[in-house]
Amino acid sequence: MDGLSQFLNAILAIGLSADIVTVFWATLLGIVVGMIPGLTATLGVALVTTLTFSMEQNTAILVLICVYIGAIYGGGRTAILLNIPGTPANAASALDGFPLAKQGRAGEAMAVATTGSFLGSMIGMMGLAVLAPWLAEFALDFTSFEFFWLAVFGVVLCGQLTAMDDPLKGWIAGFFGLLVALVGQESLHAYSRYTYGFTSLEAGFGLLPVLVGAFGCAEVFSVMRSEATQLVRARMGNVIGAAFSSLSYARTWVRSGVIGTFMGVVPGVGEDMGAWVSYAAAKRASKTPDEFGNGSVDGLLAAETGNNAAVPGALIPVLTLAIPGSAPAAVLLAAMVIHGLRPGPLIMITQPDFFYSVVAIVFWATCAMLVLGLALTRPLLWVLKVRREWLIGIIFVLCAVGSFAIAGRLFDVWVMILFGLIGFVMRETGFPVAPMILGVVLGPILDANFRRSLSLSRGDPVDFVTRPISAVIAALVLLMIVLALPPVRRGIARMMAQRHG
Amino acid sequence: MSIHRTDLCAGLVVSTIGIAALAGALAMPTFADRNGDPLTAPGITPGIISGVIAVLGIVLLLRAMAGRGPRDVPVETWPPGAALRTVFTIVTALIYGVVLFGQVPFLPATAGFVFVFTLGAELMHPGRSRSIVALCLWAALLAGVSALAIQYLFTDLFLVRLPG
Repeated sequence: MDGLSQFLNAILAIGLSADIVTVFWATLLGIVVGMIPGLTATLGVALVTTLTFSMEQNTAILVLICVYIGAIYGGGRTAILLNIPGTPANAASALDGFPLAKQGRAGEAMAVATTGSFLGSMIGMMGLAVLAPWLAEFALDFTSFEFFWLAVFGVVLCGQLTAMDDPLKGWIAGFFGLLVALVGQESLHAYSRYTYGFTSLEAGFGLLPVLVGAFGCAEVFSVMRSEATQLVRARMGNVIGAAFSSLSYARTWVRSGVIGTFMGVVPGVGEDMGAWVSYAAAKRASKTPDEFGNGSVDGLLAAETGNNAAVPGALIPVLTLAIPGSAPAAVLLAAMVIHGLRPGPLIMITQPDFFYSVVAIVFWATCAMLVLGLALTRPLLWVLKVRREWLIGIIFVLCAVGSFAIAGRLFDVWVMILFGLIGFVMRETGFPVAPMILGVVLGPILDANFRRSLSLSRGDPVDFVTRPISAVIAALVLLMIVLALPPVRRGIARMMAQRHG
Repeated sequence: MSIHRTDLCAGLVVSTIGIAALAGALAMPTFADRNGDPLTAPGITPGIISGVIAVLGIVLLLRAMAGRGPRDVPVETWPPGAALRTVFTIVTALIYGVVLFGQVPFLPATAGFVFVFTLGAELMHPGRSRSIVALCLWAALLAGVSALAIQYLFTDLFLVRLPG
């Protein structure tokens, strides 16, 4: 009950102050960012982070969460009308959204996407409010052994889930990210690793320049590499009526909301997998699975509910373990640290007010998304008419200025470009970028906890797997690796085929 | 099965990075001479991580040589004109980010970059309908307005000092 009253107080505090205006403009900004092909949620949150330096702590986090939620929602519009996901999280939405638009049901598709995103985000918010305090309390028992295994678990799982057909490349990306994070002065002996005399490397690679490079700059190169897009003729129809009718798919949005929230909690996986897994589950449960991919309302609703539910889900490990649930959440985590906040297991003891204000921000951003999404259906179409040739140059300038603004160092601009090139080459050669970013975030956690654990156990590796929680996480890591081995996968596929005749 | 060339190159690069980083980690001091705990030596974590990268890189290399693994890699299916657009984007981005940014005053550097980029990207667009004069005028307007707007946004509203 104490938590509920704190949550209601936080809702009133935002709703009855000037912050509510900030909620609306920041969510609208996020929607516009998400709608523009080439501007992902990660890039949007990273660029806006550089604009929040002079803001008050709580206002800055409010702006960033609103942009995050708005961008994941806005990307659905692009998926429906251009057949190009505005953000990677909306790829599954294009499968049914674009066929619906081609059938002249674009207005209905956008209404369904809006309702789905709203409901998904609300389910995710409830998950955040219930699970985060529990997880934070549970994590109070974690020692260096558990944090070490958690970092390994995050990289291995993210590597596997973001490269389902080729986990080897996902793991390489994840471990490469860990290695990148180790560049610079380490914390125990102040020894400079892999700096080769470059003083600029002493502090290591900044997280935000790396993120802006790997997602923003690489996106600039990828967008220019691909062919120009064609906007489908959009017939609006009765948007509000369609929004209400999608409420009848109760099973789909409840299932997708729960799946999306869970996928958000898994380190580094986030919205993309939230959408894909929800979509696959809806197809499996549907009585008309053949409609999926040909303009299924059920499919679009599942994808949009799943990706937006993953946003609050991704905030759960950020707030309680300081481990990001997705790439935009990694930027948000960095922004929280920049603004002097300390996410982690102690958050419910040291900053319970901040935790409940985050839940309230999610609530208001979700409401703003619903209102703006339904009220501005037609005006927002203008955003899609902006040509990429006019935008990409300006986006690159924002990436450069944003990277520079963090510490006023030209070196950060070069780091941004370097990781832009690395991210672009990785994408083009089939390596997922998300595990690398998670590796960069988890590297310092893994390094410090691994060496602390080695020292505590006097070098005995048995101690790493004899504590109950460590043993469970270690077993999960081993299981994931074994299940990804090609002979094991082939054996499982053979067994499944025999079982189904 | 033919050799998977993209994965072969990737495997070579990854295993080289892994081996080089492992050599770097092995060369790091243990601080045992200063009574430091060798189990907290700075090279331990990078050594293990780079070792894992080297092994994974070699596995990728062997898999590529055996012609196994997924083959739908984006770089092998580039649409027409993609190479020219990509090279143009990377070269202009490098000139702006490495040469101009910080060395030349922000306004002319940014306006010049946006002008050249917009004009070049439009000229490479196969569905271009405007004349070159109209494109130049539009690119100049966009360049001037965007450079001024970005400078105002960062320096006046968000109090960030811009370089150059």
